[in-house]
Amino acid sequence: MTSSLTDLRRDVEDFLYREAKMLDEQRYDEWLGLFTEDVRYWMPITETREVRQPRDHVPGEWALMEEDSRFLAKRMERLAGGLAHAEQPRSRTRRFISNVLVTPGPDDDLMAECNFIVFQSRRANSEQFFVGSRRDRIVTSGENWKIAERTVLLDHRVLPRAISIFF
Amino acid sequence: MTSISERPTDVVSAGLHDLVKPDEGVVSRTVFVDEAIYRTELDRVFTRTWLFIGHESQLREPGDYLTNFMGEDPVIATRGADGGIRVMLNSCAHRGMAVCTTDAGTSKFFRCPYHGWTYSNNGDLIGVPRADTVYNGELDKSRLGLKAVPRVETYKGFVFANWDENAIPLVDYLGADQLWYLDLAFEAPLGGLEVIGPTMKFRIKGNWKLAAENFAGDDYHVLYTHGSAFQIGFLPDYDMLADYIANFDHGHGMGDISKPGRAYQNDVGMAQFLGPEAIEYVTAVHERLQARVSPLQAEMHGLGEGNIFPNLSWIKFGVFHVFGLFQWHPKGPGEMEVWQTSFFDSAAPQSVKDFARTQMSQENAAAGIFGQDDGENFEQITESARGFVSQTRDFNYAMGLGHEGEVHEEGYPGRLGPHFSEQNHRNFYRYWLELMTTQGEQK
Ligand code: FES
Ligand SMILES: [Fe+2]
Repeated sequence: MTSSLTDLRRDVEDFLYREAKMLDEQRYDEWLGLFTEDVRYWMPITETREVRQPRDHVPGEWALMEEDSRFLAKRMERLAGGLAHAEQPRSRTRRFISNVLVTPGPDDDLMAECNFIVFQSRRANSEQFFVGSRRDRIVTSGENWKIAERTVLLDHRVLPRAISIFF
Repeated sequence: MTSISERPTDVVSAGLHDLVKPDEGVVSRTVFVDEAIYRTELDRVFTRTWLFIGHESQLREPGDYLTNFMGEDPVIATRGADGGIRVMLNSCAHRGMAVCTTDAGTSKFFRCPYHGWTYSNNGDLIGVPRADTVYNGELDKSRLGLKAVPRVETYKGFVFANWDENAIPLVDYLGADQLWYLDLAFEAPLGGLEVIGPTMKFRIKGNWKLAAENFAGDDYHVLYTHGSAFQIGFLPDYDMLADYIANFDHGHGMGDISKPGRAYQNDVGMAQFLGPEAIEYVTAVHERLQARVSPLQAEMHGLGEGNIFPNLSWIKFGVFHVFGLFQWHPKGPGEMEVWQTSFFDSAAPQSVKDFARTQMSQENAAAGIFGQDDGENFEQITESARGFVSQTRDFNYAMGLGHEGEVHEEGYPGRLGPHFSEQNHRNFYRYWLELMTTQGEQK
């Protein structure tokens, strides 16, 4: 890795840590601002397949989340409205981001991969971890860095509960 | 199945009439948390009813297989070399190891990871390592195949299985009245219904019946549980969507049934918003329906949601909605595992497919705005039902009691009720009680 990529990785880590903090602190409006207008946010469904019969996730298959910025904003509007019972009261969350790898993407974009562990604590006794990896395309050309594509791959075949938080 | 149905569950069974009184609109909370009642359900409900296994499009070629659950029993469904679909227990006849450990794939045989016994994909035991020496050649392989589910039947591509070899045929179990509605979902696609992605799976720490009865026609909860969907404009005013619910023999029920014409009007409105391809599509589907189903069914155009007893729920509004299936797999009295499979018209334009697929993820799915809030209800209800005092307070299913049969819509089959009624819940528990308190074949 060249030294400039090492520097970039530090910047990307910083960007991702700040994002994680925003979510843990439920600063959702700021979080929405991290995505481009045409963002593609995708969380496919993990499968258990034979070693010799792997299957790649293909665009167009049904997914856990497949969002544009408009619907991400709708989700925030829903949370703010007081009727999102699955997050009333809000879950406590703690995000851990690691194993950040940065490679150059198309134009001046950066491709950033990372692993995550998200701890969720709901009400009194509902506690779970979500573990997986993310791959982002980050646009660096504007005034602020923005995420233009995010793919979230959860390692769980059976999710511990419905998803009411963000990754 | 005598060996299963003769288990000593009579003690549990005898007390149930005091706990479950559908005709009075009350059900004790005990039936949602009690371990012995749960064990009795696995026996008397889940070994005697038709349970969903998969769709023929998931088992296209000989050798294709998928795994699923019937109650808590893991099963494998395969398409054999003869083209037939078989369902068998996913548990080695030797000492019980799972012989198939993946979701789906293609294989001519299953080899047990423990001692290497090998079964053909029709379940026959075909290989036992060192059989000649370790068993002195005395092992009778013909008696040690994977346990086959005796009855496997399909309806329009949907494969169901039943442990009860004397069960009534699947089509009679589903019943002509319920199928009058469901056929709309099966006959509308211009191509075929195809599975549009992997099965989505997640856990809810709630009793499986809470989800099943909810989809059987609890339209009342939509107003408040899903209030956020109306608040953010995800759905139009609920009274614009539907008018009735209906229930059927064998505990089945459905909700969000609309008056003739309403669903078509809603779809035409939606198409205008989605664009020219969508307008063309809704017209083509409507014409197809007119050619394939009765004039009234075609006029009805869209469905709603429902529950096929015991634990298979479905959702299908107009032509822009996927046909979504939900299996509420029981995992003990206090937990269920949700398996969701979605289907759509293989011949729909790509823009329509994209809309339907993403809308389902956002709506009734693990991260969907409906799915999240439903799960929260089922969990907290189950949690509170464990309390000693709370078990002295029955659940109330009295809405519409004494007013059943008052609603009519010319030509609509089944026992119709107003949009908001608990008649379908009572119907669900009536059949549940009948199964739980009897043995032998279901009526
Ligand atoms: S348990 Fe399967 S071969 Fe022994
Ligand atoms: Fe619901």
